[in-house]
Amino acid sequence: MSQAILEMKNISKVFETEELETHALKGISFSVNKGDYVSISGPSGCGKSTLLSIMGLLDVSTGGEYLIEGINVTDLTLDQAAEVRNAKIGFIFQSFNLIDELSVFDNVALPLRYHSDKPSNQVIKERVTACLEKVALSHRISHKPNQLSGGQQQRVAIARALVAEPAVLLVDEPTGNLDSKSGDLVMEVLEKLNESGTTICMVTHDPRYADMAKTKIQLLDGTILQAPKAKLAG
Amino acid sequence: MNSFFYQTLYQVKQAYLSLQQKPGFVFSVVTTLGITLGALLCVLTLAYVMLIKPLPYPDQDRLYRVEHQLISNENKVDGRAFTYPNLMHLYKNQTTFSESVLSYFDAAVLTSSTDEPMVTISFVTPQWFDIFATKMALGRPFESSEQVNTYNPVAILSYQTWQAEFAGKDNILDEKIKFSGKSYRVIGVTAQQNIELPLAGPGYKTQIYVPWDFNPTSDKQRLAWGNDYSGLSFIGKIKPELAATFSATQMNQTLTNLVNDNWQNQVASEEFFKGWGIRLEVSTLKSFIVADGEKSVYLLILGALGLVLIACTNIANLFVSRTAERQQQLAIRAAVGASKAQLFRTIMAEIGIIMLLSIVVAQIFTFIGFSILTYYLGDFLPRIDELNLNSFSVIASIGLLVLLTFFFSHLCRKMINYRSLNSTLQSSGKGSGIQVSKKVRNILISSQIAIATSLVFINIVLYKDANALVEQPLGYETENIMAVVLSLANIERDSRAQKLTELKLKLNNVPKIIDVSQGMRPSIFSTTALTDDATTKRYTASGKDVDERYFEMINQVIIEGDNFSAADIKDDNRVAIINDVFAQLVSPNGSAIGMKFNNGLRVIGVVKSIHIPGREYVAARFYMPASLARNMLLIKLKPGQELSRTELITSLKEVSPSLSLFSFSSLTDYKNERLFAPMTTAITTVVLAILTLFLSGLGLYGILSYSSQMRRFEIGTRLAIGAKGKDIVTLVFRDNSGAMVSGIIISLLVLLGLYLGFRDSLIEYVSIELIPLYMMTLALITLISLFACYMPLRQYINKPAIHSLRGSD
Ligand SMILES: Nc1ncnc2c1ncn2[C@@H]1O[C@H](COP(=O)(O)OP(=O)(O)OP(=O)(O)O)[C@@H](O)[C@H]1O
Ligand SMILES: [Mg+2]
Repeated sequence: MSQAILEMKNISKVFETEELETHALKGISFSVNKGDYVSISGPSGCGKSTLLSIMGLLDVSTGGEYLIEGINVTDLTLDQAAEVRNAKIGFIFQSFNLIDELSVFDNVALPLRYHSDKPSNQVIKERVTACLEKVALSHRISHKPNQLSGGQQQRVAIARALVAEPAVLLVDEPTGNLDSKSGDLVMEVLEKLNESGTTICMVTHDPRYADMAKTKIQLLDGTILQAPKAKLAG
Repeated sequence: MNSFFYQTLYQVKQAYLSLQQKPGFVFSVVTTLGITLGALLCVLTLAYVMLIKPLPYPDQDRLYRVEHQLISNENKVDGRAFTYPNLMHLYKNQTTFSESVLSYFDAAVLTSSTDEPMVTISFVTPQWFDIFATKMALGRPFESSEQVNTYNPVAILSYQTWQAEFAGKDNILDEKIKFSGKSYRVIGVTAQQNIELPLAGPGYKTQIYVPWDFNPTSDKQRLAWGNDYSGLSFIGKIKPELAATFSATQMNQTLTNLVNDNWQNQVASEEFFKGWGIRLEVSTLKSFIVADGEKSVYLLILGALGLVLIACTNIANLFVSRTAERQQQLAIRAAVGASKAQLFRTIMAEIGIIMLLSIVVAQIFTFIGFSILTYYLGDFLPRIDELNLNSFSVIASIGLLVLLTFFFSHLCRKMINYRSLNSTLQSSGKGSGIQVSKKVRNILISSQIAIATSLVFINIVLYKDANALVEQPLGYETENIMAVVLSLANIERDSRAQKLTELKLKLNNVPKIIDVSQGMRPSIFSTTALTDDATTKRYTASGKDVDERYFEMINQVIIEGDNFSAADIKDDNRVAIINDVFAQLVSPNGSAIGMKFNNGLRVIGVVKSIHIPGREYVAARFYMPASLARNMLLIKLKPGQELSRTELITSLKEVSPSLSLFSFSSLTDYKNERLFAPMTTAITTVVLAILTLFLSGLGLYGILSYSSQMRRFEIGTRLAIGAKGKDIVTLVFRDNSGAMVSGIIISLLVLLGLYLGFRDSLIEYVSIELIPLYMMTLALITLISLFACYMPLRQYINKPAIHSLRGSD
C-alpha cells in the first residue's frame, strides 16, 4: 500500500446540464503503484477520459477521495492543483496539443518554465535534450510542430510529459490520430519508458495495446467492470 | 453585364438572408457606426457650411469687409474700429467698390409696444438690401429716398419681428413704431427665407432696419477724428474689373492712402497724433464671418474622426471574427466551386448591406446633431442656421459608404487563405483556412490604443484649460445682485439725474432690497487711451464709471487709498481708482496714489483686480465716478429674495411713466452666460473622453476575447502542464505588450505631428504640466487594456483546466 502513487476511493463524477444529469463515474476505486503500467479501456462514453482528467487534476470529482503519493488532493485550489500537475503528472493527449508558435525545444521545455524550482537555462537545456533523445527526436529540436509528422508530434508530446520527471504519465488514446505504424512506434517508446521505471496510466481502445499493460481496467457505464490483475483498494 | 447584375443581386439576397440570422451582430455594427458616422457627417457638414460653402448672396466672392486700424507712433495697432469721419470719407470717396454698405448694430427698447420689448436695430444704407439680395414680404426696401443725409424716418421689420411683436398683422405698413425717443414709419417687412449673416457677432439677428442717418453716434462724435467705435462697419462689392486682377496688398494700399492722407490733414494740429496713422485692410466677407470659428470646427472634426476611427477598429474586429465564424460556410462554397473573386463578392455584399444601413442610421444622428449644434452653438459659431442635409452631406455619405465597404471587405479578404480553405472540410476543427493573423490583431490593438491615448489626452488638456476658466475665482460677488439697464430716451436730459435719484430712493425702501448702486455691471469695460501727466507715457486701459456703493456691493477689495465719496459722485470729481495691474504698470516700485492723467483724473485708490468670467487675461483698468444721470443700476437683494421684472417696472413707472426698462438680469446669469463656452467645452471633453475610453475598452475587449478564444486550446494545454492562472495572465499581457507599446509610441508621434502642424494655435496649451497629464492618460489606457486582457481569460483560469481543453481531444 505504501508504494501506491495514485489512490482513488469511491470517486464519482456527475455532469449537470440544464435538464440532464450524466453520471459519468460511479464510485471508482483503485490504485496505481510505482512502476505500474495500467491500461483503461471500455466502450465509447463509458467515462475513460473523465477518469483520466480527474486523475490528472484537470477536473474535480463530485464525490470520493483522491490521493497522490499519500497526500489528499481532493480539494485543492486551482493553483495548488496546477503545482501538483506540474510536479507529479505528465500528460499525453490524443491530439498531441503542442503549441504551434513554439519550437520543439520550447514545447518540451514548457513544463520546466512553470516549475516552482525555476530551473536554470542550462538545466532546462540538458533535461530537454535528454528527453528528446529518449523519443529519438534530437535532430528536430528547432522545428515547429506543424513541420513534423503526427507520430513525431506525439513523441514530442511524450518528451514534454517526461521533462519534469513526473511520478506518473497519464495517456489518453495516444495512437488515436496516428496510422498503425506510427502508433506502434509511440507504444514502443512508452513500453521502454515503463521498463526503465516510469509509471504509466493509459486509456486505449485498441486491445493490442491494452494487452501490453501489466494491469488492465475495464470500464462500463462509469463503473469498473473487471480488473483481474489490479489491486483494488478498499 | 446582365449576368453580372443577376449574380450581384443573388449575392445581395444571400447576404441579406445570412444577416437576418445575426441581428445582434448587425445591431452592434449599425449603432456604433451610425452614431459615430453621424457625428462625423454632422461636423463635416458644419465645416463645409462654415469654411467652404459660398455665402448665399450674388457675386459673393466679390464681397469684402474693410477693417480700419489706428496705428500708434510705435507702429502698433491701437484700435481696430472705424472713426466716424474716416468711415464717411471712405464711403463717399472710394472708387474700389461698385457698391458699398454702411451698418451700425445696436439694440433699443421698443417703447411703442405695450410690453416694451428690447429689439436689435441695424442702421444701414440702402445698398444693404441689394448686396444681401434681401427679398421683401411686404412693402419696399430702402432706396435712394433713404440715402445718406436724407433723414427719412422709416423702418423695415424682419419677418420674425413682424410675427412675434406685431402678430403678423396685415396692415402693418404705414404704422408707426418708436424707440430711443423717435418715431419711424414702417415701409416694409423682409421675407422669411432671407439668410442674414451674423455681422455683429454669432447669433445676432436684425429685428428692425432703420436708415443709416439715425445711428446713435452723437453729433460731436461724428466729427471726432481720433475716437473709434466698434459698432461701425463697412462692406463693399469690388468692381468686376478689379476682381479679375485682385491683389489684397494693392487694394489695402489704395484704400489706406485714400483715408490716411485725409486724416493726416485733419489731425495735423493735434500734438497727440504725431507719428500716428491709419491703415485699412480688406478681408473677404466669408473669412470675416468665420473668424475664430475655424479652430472650433477643426477640433470638432478631430474629435469625431477619432471616434469613427475607434469605432472602425472595433468593427474591423467584429467583421474579422464574423468571417472566421463563417469559415465552414465559405469552405463549402469553395468546395462546390466558388472562385476567390466570388467569395470576395459574397463578403462584400454582406459588408455593403451593413454599411448602407449604418449610413442611413447615420443620417438620423446627423440630423439630431444639427439640432444639438444649432441649439448649443448657434450663438457661438456663425452660419449654423444654414446647417442642413445638403448635397455635400449626401456626397460625403456616399464617399464614406464606398470607402468603408472596400476597407472592411479588403480586411476580411486578407484573412482568407483560399488554398487552405479546401482542407478545412477534411481536417474538421482546427482548420487554418481562416485565421486572424497575429499581425492584423496587433495592428488593431495598436491603432485602438494610439487613437484612444491621443484623443483622451487631447480631451484632458482641453478640459483642464476650460475647467480652469470655469473654476477661476472672479474676485467679486454675483450672488443676489441684479443688473438693470434703463432707457432714458423719453426723459428730458436735465431731469434724468433727479428721476434716477428718486428711483434709487424708492428702491432702497423696498424691504427685500439691501442696497442700490448706480453704474455698469462688473464685467463690462470700455477701452480708452490715457497719458501719464508726469512722464507723458501713454497707456491703453479699460475703464468704467461706478458710484461710491459699487465696490462694497460686489465685495471688491480696495487695497490702497480711498473709495469714492458721495461728494465725488455728486460733484463729478475728476478722481479715479485703478486696479493693481494698472498700478503696477504706472508705478512699478512705488504707490500710484496721487498720479494724474491727461484727462484730469487723479488716482485716489487701488483695488484688487477682478476676473471677467471666462477670461484669463486681466487688463489695466480704472474706475471713475458715475454721473447721477447714469442709466445703469445694480440692486442687491436679501438672500433668497427675488425681484420680478414687473415689480421693477411698476417702481419705474411710479417714478416716471417715461422710464423704460432696457434689460434686467442677475449677475449670476451674466456670469453663467459668459462661462457657457468653457463650460460646454469642459462637458464635451469629459463626455468625449469617457466615450473614447468606453469604446476603446469595448474594442480592446472584443479583440482580446476573440484572440483568447482562438488560443483556448493553447491555454488549456499550458494549464494541463502546470501553468497557474497568473502564468497565463502574464503570458497574455506579455504577448500583447508589444502592440500596446507601439500604440503608445504612435500616439506620441500623432501628438507631436499635431503640435508641429498646428503650432501657432496649440502653443498656448503646451507646458510642462502636459507630462503628468500624459502619464495619467497612459495609466488610464493601460489599466483599461489590462482589464480588457484579463476579463476574457477569467473563464479559462477560474475553472478546472478541462474546460479549456474540452473538444481538443
Ligand atoms: N462536460 C460534460 N457535460 C456533460 N456530460 C459530459 C461532459 N463530459 C463528458 N460527459 C459525459 O460523460 C460520459 C463520459 O464521457 P467521457 O468523455 O469520459 O467518455 P469516454 O469513455 O472518454 O468516451 P470516448 O471513448 O468516446 O472518448 C459521456 O456520457 C459524456 O456524454
Ligand atoms: Mg475519451
